[in-house]
Amino acid sequence: MTMFDFQVLPMQEQVNVLYEQGIYIGKRKADKLTVLIMQLDSFYVEVFYRKYRFEITRLRCSSSTHMLDPYLEQIEVEHFVT
Amino acid sequence: MTKPASNKNIVLYADDDTDDLDLVQEAFLRFNDTVELIVLKDGSQLLSCLSKLHDEEIAPCLILLDINMPVMNGKEVLKKLKDMEVYASIPVVLFSTSSQPEDIGFARNYSAGFITKPLNKSQMQQVTELFIDHCTEEIQKNIRRHFS
Repeated sequence: MTMFDFQVLPMQEQVNVLYEQGIYIGKRKADKLTVLIMQLDSFYVEVFYRKYRFEITRLRCSSSTHMLDPYLEQIEVEHFVT
Repeated sequence: MTKPASNKNIVLYADDDTDDLDLVQEAFLRFNDTVELIVLKDGSQLLSCLSKLHDEEIAPCLILLDINMPVMNGKEVLKKLKDMEVYASIPVVLFSTSSQPEDIGFARNYSAGFITKPLNKSQMQQVTELFIDHCTEEIQKNIRRHFS
């Protein structure tokens, strides 16, 4: 599925596609929201929750790896450095 | 770990994500009269808990395992459980963030269920029912007796 095909779907269908085909990458907190990021084919989708895994406020798509930055920043790399 | 109430069906759930632990605890609240959910933060803690319950001759009716956990992940725990005769018959469900075919195949190879973590409320309600569907028929009836 292309990002365009995904974006034209109604939100509930987008959620269903993500549930069936999305690959979970990470989670972050943004103000009072919890945000999940998932990979779907060649693009990424962020899921913004007012209440985690209950109430989705919006979805945001991007094919840019910049979307991963806030998640990568959370990784504590010192554990991997000897 | 608090001592479980003996008249309830015990479900063990290991997950390192505190949000998901809270979520599943909330989902099981409607079965509060018949189910006691014991939550643990990794697979190693779950095996210790299981051993303590076994010493008291208590067996859980269901084990839920996140796949990606520190210390001992869900797949390692599942392998161990199926290798130990005393625990091999307890229903196990891998509860994962993604529907990766290799993880689904792994669960199937070890006679475990596989359920993807829900993304919204409607899916969450279905997931709790799916968890219970993995228990034996007798336990399912017992858990749902307040709803029949």
